[in-house]
Amino acid sequence: MSVNPAVSRKARQRATMGLIRLLAACVITAVLLTPILAVFWLSLRPRLYSDIVGPTLDNFRYIFVNTNVLTWTVNSLSVALFATVASLLVAAPAGYVLSRAKGRIVSIYAMSIFVIQSFPVVVFVIPLFVMFAAVHLVDTLAGVAIIYVATSVSVACWMMSAYFDTIPKELEEAAWIDGCSVLSAFVRIVLRNSLPGILSTAIYSFLLAWNDYLIALVFLRSDSNFTLPIGLQTFFQQNQTDWGPVMACAVIMLLPPVLVFAFLNRFFSIGGVGGALAGK
Amino acid sequence: MNDIMRMKRRTFLAGSAAAIGAAGLPSLAFGAEEITFWDMVWGASGYTDAAREVALAYEPAAGLGEVSYQSIPWANWYQTFTSAAASRTTPAVSSGAAFLPFYFMEQGVMIPADNLVSKLDAAGKNDFLPGLLDAMTTHDGIAAMPWSMDLRVLWYRRSLLEKAGADVPTDWDSYIAAGEKLAKIGAVGLGIAASSTTTDAKHTISALMINNGGGFFAEDGSLDCVNDRNIETLEFLKECVAKKIIDPYAISYNSDNVETDWINGHIAMGFGQTGMDRIVPESERDDLQVANPILGPHGDKGTVYYINPLMMFDTTPSQDSSEAFLEYYLDNIKAYWETGVITDLPVKRSIAELPVIQNNPKLVLAINEWQPHGKTIAAQSNEAFGALNAVDGGNATATFAQRIVEGKSDSRKLLEDLQGQLEKIMN
Amino acid sequence: MSMFFQDTSTARRRRLTMAGLALPSILMMALVNGYPVVVAAVQSVHDGGLLKLGDFVGVENYIRVFQDPLFWKSLRFTVLFAMCGVFGSWVVGFALALFLRTRFPGSAIFRVLLLLPWIVPIVVTAMGWNWLVATRNSIMPQLAEALGFGPVMFLADPTMAVITVCVFKIWISYPFMMMMAAGALETVDQSAIEAARVDGAGPWNLLVHMILPMTARSTYISWILMTMFSVNDFPTIFLLTGGGPVNATSSLVVMAYRTVFQDFQPGYGIAITFVITTALAVLSLCLFNLIRKSSVS
Repeated sequence: MSVNPAVSRKARQRATMGLIRLLAACVITAVLLTPILAVFWLSLRPRLYSDIVGPTLDNFRYIFVNTNVLTWTVNSLSVALFATVASLLVAAPAGYVLSRAKGRIVSIYAMSIFVIQSFPVVVFVIPLFVMFAAVHLVDTLAGVAIIYVATSVSVACWMMSAYFDTIPKELEEAAWIDGCSVLSAFVRIVLRNSLPGILSTAIYSFLLAWNDYLIALVFLRSDSNFTLPIGLQTFFQQNQTDWGPVMACAVIMLLPPVLVFAFLNRFFSIGGVGGALAGK
Repeated sequence: MNDIMRMKRRTFLAGSAAAIGAAGLPSLAFGAEEITFWDMVWGASGYTDAAREVALAYEPAAGLGEVSYQSIPWANWYQTFTSAAASRTTPAVSSGAAFLPFYFMEQGVMIPADNLVSKLDAAGKNDFLPGLLDAMTTHDGIAAMPWSMDLRVLWYRRSLLEKAGADVPTDWDSYIAAGEKLAKIGAVGLGIAASSTTTDAKHTISALMINNGGGFFAEDGSLDCVNDRNIETLEFLKECVAKKIIDPYAISYNSDNVETDWINGHIAMGFGQTGMDRIVPESERDDLQVANPILGPHGDKGTVYYINPLMMFDTTPSQDSSEAFLEYYLDNIKAYWETGVITDLPVKRSIAELPVIQNNPKLVLAINEWQPHGKTIAAQSNEAFGALNAVDGGNATATFAQRIVEGKSDSRKLLEDLQGQLEKIMN
Repeated sequence: MSMFFQDTSTARRRRLTMAGLALPSILMMALVNGYPVVVAAVQSVHDGGLLKLGDFVGVENYIRVFQDPLFWKSLRFTVLFAMCGVFGSWVVGFALALFLRTRFPGSAIFRVLLLLPWIVPIVVTAMGWNWLVATRNSIMPQLAEALGFGPVMFLADPTMAVITVCVFKIWISYPFMMMMAAGALETVDQSAIEAARVDGAGPWNLLVHMILPMTARSTYISWILMTMFSVNDFPTIFLLTGGGPVNATSSLVVMAYRTVFQDFQPGYGIAITFVITTALAVLSLCLFNLIRKSSVS
């Protein structure tokens, strides 16, 4: 590898800059992630009423032996994935309408999507529960997933619509002239070019479902149906909490989304929607 | 794992029974509908397994329903129960928070326990500690069955008191004296957690009010916060704040924070549940001791307790099945104390006399010396009522406790504000 | 869109297809969002509990909202909390997005790591935060003492509690802003930036006069979304402070929740949420129209 000195000096400079930035990134990340590191540390705390002193992996042994943590993880994942897919199925067509159609009815439709998003879900839990009990959706993962779709759908519609705005409509119109129906033009041309938007929306819906605890708490009853955040609740006693296993569960809970993100990150740069909004 | 196997076996049996029934063959199980039992998490991690075991070991008499067990988390319990009641999906029987039965009684979704109590009387099984059934009685009947009790007693760390050269307090004046000495060595003399997410500090304040013959209510159940005894109690607490006997950080403490401070030896004295010493390792358990009840300024003794109820809802498929199961359950809960999975006290004499309790001097002291002077937060009222849920868990008392720890407000003014806010929520 | 409005059978069919595409979302919202809103609206003009409707009291609950000093206190805190949530997290998120666009070894890993505060369930991170600041012996107060600030009561002092909750909110929300900003920065025309750089523009000038205007639309939208998220944010506050000490960190949603589920007064609590929602809807519609106008021009 013989290179001329000027280039190698430049390369060295760039490498030094890279190292300085790497150092800065490490410091920033360490500071920002302190509370999460604390969770890892707390997961090593001995359990209540145990005679172990000092850090221990006992909590992890305990939750795998004595609780349904695996079932909870599977439930959480399946609910979140179902909610994500369903939310996309509802939001993508709706977003297309918001993006392409004009007129008074469409504005009213856009506005109601908007207003619905402003209601805090906390207060409507009881009427929802009564309604779901009537159709036997209480204590089912499907019932919880449906509510997640409903709570994420308005922002999802927006995100999708913003992305469709960046796709020139001349493409569809050309397709129509070629005899494509609106539906097939939407699927074949618009959706096929919207992967970043779809992924961003999926991430939003997934995280909303994955992290919720209020709705699952009210709607889920049986241990075999618990999602992870509710599984955590089984360690909370009347006036005490067994924090060790809670934090161990929390560590388990961290892993799937982190892996999902790490994996997706190679395929696209996060934030397709921000880009969609900035363009045009 | 055992439970899962057993569940599988039972569903298999139920399935085969149904199959037999469907095939037109006679079967005993046929026609008796299963009832559901909801149970809160009443102890450390082992509790729920133990309780499920007790419930599933129940074998109903002919024509009565079997039981399925459902553990209910404490978080948002109120939402869980009210949404179930609103949608008529409450279980047949359930344990629950102390004042829930009174609220549900008023809402008319429960069945009183009078019939079950007479059954227990007839069988000679009515051995509840004095005053407990009375505390459950309303003018609509007995709201629920008591089954255990969360009694607050005064705990202290022996080694810290020795280190500070302080004596175990016997009355309020000596409490202040001990607290001042403890503050000098950096230990907390009255450990509480006053965050809005916990009721711990409210319980200590109630315990001290009752200790001084006061409380939030008059004997007829009307609000009576602003009386001389309560003002005296608040003055005592104010002095504790001024002399650093109460930690200023405690205003935002949740139950985990206060527990951690007990474990780490930062707290030297404070009110806690009986059985609280189990949070520290075995080797230190002797260091945590229960004091004798301290005397208030007028010579009163007293503390606060919460009676944990077993309720029967009107959504049961068969009231006979509900009562039969509860009768069985009350006979068998002694297992929780025998195996040590529960922190609360028993409420039946037959359990209180078990060797496992009698050989624990701290529990004996709690049952013999503290329990007879205990009252609920309905004190000084003679009857409990549904609005106590809002008094116990509501925003008004949380803010009241936090303002006490702030130590900036006039005691009478604090009580007047509290009375005003409670009037609003009690309508 | 002219093609939609020609009165031909194809145009009609296109309109029908459009209606069909919108239908699932309409049904979903009518059932799961609409119905509870109607029930709640009915509850808000009655004085009953959660099980019984009680008596009709008209707008009494709404009048009470405006007379309640706690409502105004909570409103002030909500505004502060939302401002911090929006602008604080935007500054942090935008800065990090800019930083992550530069080249250094392992930048992809940091892109994922820095999203963690948003990915990790808030039930869990609230515990981590609490452990860092809650007691005199926690890490942060000890650190503050070592640095000579005396014992800082991060959650127990009302002013500090407000600051702590706002910082927590920024920490929870910056990844969302970082995502939005990262996407917007991808659309920035690099050749224009290079040209300006050759003309001798410094990094600050580049940022203020080139990058920010180019990403303005995305920024405004992320502000509106974050305003809604912040105003309706219940768990962030409730899990860290429960609204205390002495209601210092009680936002309107926390106040509404406590009124419904701790004081058992659903009528009044729901009246509070309707007041919030109305204000929020009006505010965001105004902002939304501003953006539409600015993007048209």
